[in-house]
Formats: sequence, structure tokens, C-alpha cells
Amino acid sequence: MSTGDVRRPSLNKLVNKAAATDKPDPDVIEDEEGEEAAAPAAKTTPAKASPAKSARPAKSAAPARSSSSSSGSSSSGSSSAKTTATKTAARTSGTATKSARPGTKQPAGRPGARGPVKAAGGKGRKPTAPIRVKSGVNWGPIAMFSIAGLLAVGIIAWGAVAVYKNEHKTPWQQRAAAIAGIHNYLASNPDWFKVPAEGNHKAGILTYPTNPPVGGIHNPTWQNCMGDVYDSQIAKEQATHSMEHGAVWITYRPDLPKAQVDELASKVRNQTFMLMSPYPGLDAPISLQAWGYQLKLDNASDKRIDQFIDALRINATQEPQAGCSGGITDATPTPLDMAPLPTQ
Amino acid sequence: MFPFLGTRNGRIIAGALAAVFLLAIGFGAGLLTRPGTPGDDSADAGFARDMSTHHAQAVEMGMIAFQKASLPEVRTLGGDIALTQKGQIGVMSTWLKDWGLDVNTTRAPMSWMPNGQAELVNNLMPGMATREEVAKLNSATGKQVDILFCQYMLRHHLGGIHMVDDVLAQHPRPEVAELAQTMKQNQTAEVSVLRTLLTQLGAQPL
Repeated sequence: MSTGDVRRPSLNKLVNKAAATDKPDPDVIEDEEGEEAAAPAAKTTPAKASPAKSARPAKSAAPARSSSSSSGSSSSGSSSAKTTATKTAARTSGTATKSARPGTKQPAGRPGARGPVKAAGGKGRKPTAPIRVKSGVNWGPIAMFSIAGLLAVGIIAWGAVAVYKNEHKTPWQQRAAAIAGIHNYLASNPDWFKVPAEGNHKAGILTYPTNPPVGGIHNPTWQNCMGDVYDSQIAKEQATHSMEHGAVWITYRPDLPKAQVDELASKVRNQTFMLMSPYPGLDAPISLQAWGYQLKLDNASDKRIDQFIDALRINATQEPQAGCSGGITDATPTPLDMAPLPTQ
Repeated sequence: MFPFLGTRNGRIIAGALAAVFLLAIGFGAGLLTRPGTPGDDSADAGFARDMSTHHAQAVEMGMIAFQKASLPEVRTLGGDIALTQKGQIGVMSTWLKDWGLDVNTTRAPMSWMPNGQAELVNNLMPGMATREEVAKLNSATGKQVDILFCQYMLRHHLGGIHMVDDVLAQHPRPEVAELAQTMKQNQTAEVSVLRTLLTQLGAQPL
């Protein structure tokens, strides 16, 4: 197929030569019109030639088509394209002369090219001729090869991306940012997460700017987060410490239907760096927290729950490689450690 | 050059073949340019993730024994297991980071193991204790701590060795094979220590 394109510039040269030697003749215009209509058929796939175009110059179109396909089969590379083009041009002009009326001169090659028209642009030309010639730029094959090229690039890229995707996981921050409705407080309120000089451990009841908390100063002991499903309220000051270690804390309003509570529990139970508890006064049926992140949801079957866990479990932490075991396993609404530490 | 291009069917077939060929080129290019590390679906990555979870429970139970067991040998063994396995979790999570992967995956746990899914009960991998069992160990006192720890840890090690065998059978990367082999060696040795301790405590394996 590519020989059609390669052939073109050399043909133009031939056409120019022919146009330079042959004097313009009024009849040429008519013939030109006929061959021009046949030209797209020869350049694009033969099957695509519309009947209307090929109807009038049937005789000249047919040899042009056959010569096009014969040039395709005889040339094996671009190096031989020039010689092939010469042959083809000769053949085309020959057959065209045969089919033409006697005494008329045929422009060699394809008149769709600009060359002959410019040369033939004498005083006697109708003003419509240049317009027709300009539209002679054949968009059919250009579009076809562009689409084929894009398709090829697309297919190759798809194959490469499929391999790449298995090899590289999108960074967790990007995965988190892609979750609809998630709030990244690390980005919006970085001050909340700064560790004061005296440390970020403080016993007793603490207040947080969000409900439930998403980080900040917390109790010295963490809530056990080895896939623990707590049936009653736990101290937020202890759960915040769990999140500092990289845990995802799932909270739900106590009126959440049991089926949904069970669905949530199935994502938590026996899964490390996960904990779950009811949270009275929650302003949404479900709220997911990790260190710095929060996502409020209406339903336990929401697909974003798995996305949240996949992005943030273990990854969202202020203390990488800290553990989830050895924490408080009792569920108490207020901190177990209410006394301030003597040293802090 | 290509006479079959003259027919409609010929062109369709040629187009389809070209698409397959280009897809192969794309896969080939992707494979050639990849950094030579395991993919998200590899046994290496699956082992690193799942063994980290499995190890985390050994750390939990080992620390309980370290704090509460009555026999000094059991306290020492609990501390030894906890420290070793916590360190190995760090190694395995570093692998995943180095491989451009993540500690998390949307793939089901144990899906890298043949029949792995079937062995998974309530997110529990082979040999793992339930939360209720861990709570029982946590609230136990005296010799009961020693007995429960030895029973749970023996079962835990046997499950862990089973997972190690599965990854070794799948031709893992050298660093994975090396760590997996040392896990097998150490845990097999500890299995016999745990059996001896259970006999000493007058108890049976689970």
C-alpha cells in the first residue's frame, strides 16, 4: 500500500515534465476532469471507488487501477519505487491515449497533481479550474494511513501499558487522590500533624478538629489493630495512635443495618492494620479514616471502601514499620490511660 | 506483492494479523523495557505481602509470650520469634517498594498459591489463630499462657512452612528464595523446640 504514497512525488515530476512539453489544449481540461475522478480510485483501495466517479471515465479508470495494483506487486521497496513509477506512468499515459479521442493530447500521469495545472494556467482557463485542482489533494489515503498509523501506535502502546501496569503500581498518594470524595487533611491542614517538641503523646481525653479524628496528638497506647472488630465504642485518642502506625479505622453510626456492619467487618476481621468500631454521633452512616485522610460514605457496598484500604493501609503512617499488635484490646469509650505521664 | 489484499476478506484477515503482530510487539517492548522485577501478580509479591500478614501475628503472639509466659524458655522463645519475624516483615516490605509495587493489592490473599484461595478461611492464612484465640492467649494467666502460646505457635509455624514451600516451588527470585529457605530452616527447628516444650508442660499440640 505504501508504494502509492512513494510513487506520488516522482509522478508529479513526470507530470510536470509532460505539462512543460505539451502545450495546454482546451480538450485537456475535459480529460483532466475525467482522469482526476479516476485518480482517487487508483490511490485508495480499488474497492472504495464510488460508482459516480468511475462511471464516466470507465475506460481510463480501469487501466489506472490495474496499473496501480501492478506497481504494488512489482515493487518490493522504496528504492525501486521510482522506476516502478516511471513504468506505471508510461503505461497509464499509454492506455489513456488509446482510450482518448484522436488528436487530443493526454497529460501523462495523474492530473490530480498540481504541476500541470499551474503550467497550464493560461489566459483561457476557467476560474473554476484552480479550485478543483486544489481539492485534488487526496485526503482519502492520507486519512487512511493516519488512522492505520494511529491504530498501530495505539495497539503497541496498549500492549506495553498492560505489561507496565503489572510491573508498577500507581503510587498510593495518587491512588488516594483519585478516590471521589476523599479529604486529604495532610494537604489542607498540615499543621495538625506536626509533632510538638514535647512529643505527640498525651494521656486522657483529647479534642480533634474532625470527627472522627484523622491524626494529631494521641494517647501513649494504641488500640490493637490486628483486624480487630470492636462491637462497642473505642477511645478515639487510642484509635488515632493506631492510625499513626498505619492502620485504617472504619467507623459506622450505631444505627447502620447489621448486614452492612457485617459487610464492613468482613473487610477488617483478621486483616492486619485494620480496626473497626461503632461511633455514636457520626454525621454519616460510615466514615473511613487513615492518618491524614477521611472518606464519609452512605453504604457498606460502596466500592471506594476497598480503594481507600488499598491506597492507605500501612502506607498512610507517620511511623513506618510500627506495629498494630500489643495495643489495647478492650473497647472503652474513653481512654484507659487518664492520668498524665509523669515524665511528659 | 500481497495478492490476498485484493479481496475484502483477505484485507480483514491481514488487518487482524497486523493487530495481533503489533500487540505482540507492544508486549515484547513492555517486557524488554521492564526493570526485571516481579509483577503484581507474581508469587514473589504475593509471598512478600501474605507472609508479612502471617508474620505480624507471630509478632503479636510472641510479644504476649515474652511478657506473660511463666517459663523463661517460653519468654525467650516468644521474644526471639517476635524480633525475627518483625525484622523479616521489614525486609519483605522493602522488596515490594523496590519492585515498584505496594504492600497492598486488590488481588485476593493467597491467590499466588495453588489452591491458596481454598485454604483461606475468614482472611486467615494457614496456621493462623482467630482473633478469639489471640484474645484467649492475651487474657490467659500462668502456665496457660505457655501452653496456648506453644500450641498456637506450633500450628502457626507449620502453616508458615507450608507457604514457604509453595513459594519455593514457584522458582522465586534469589533474595526471596534465600529468606524463604532460612524461614523454613529456623521455623522447622522451632517446631521441634515447641513440641518439646509442650511435652514438658504436659500438653498436646492442637
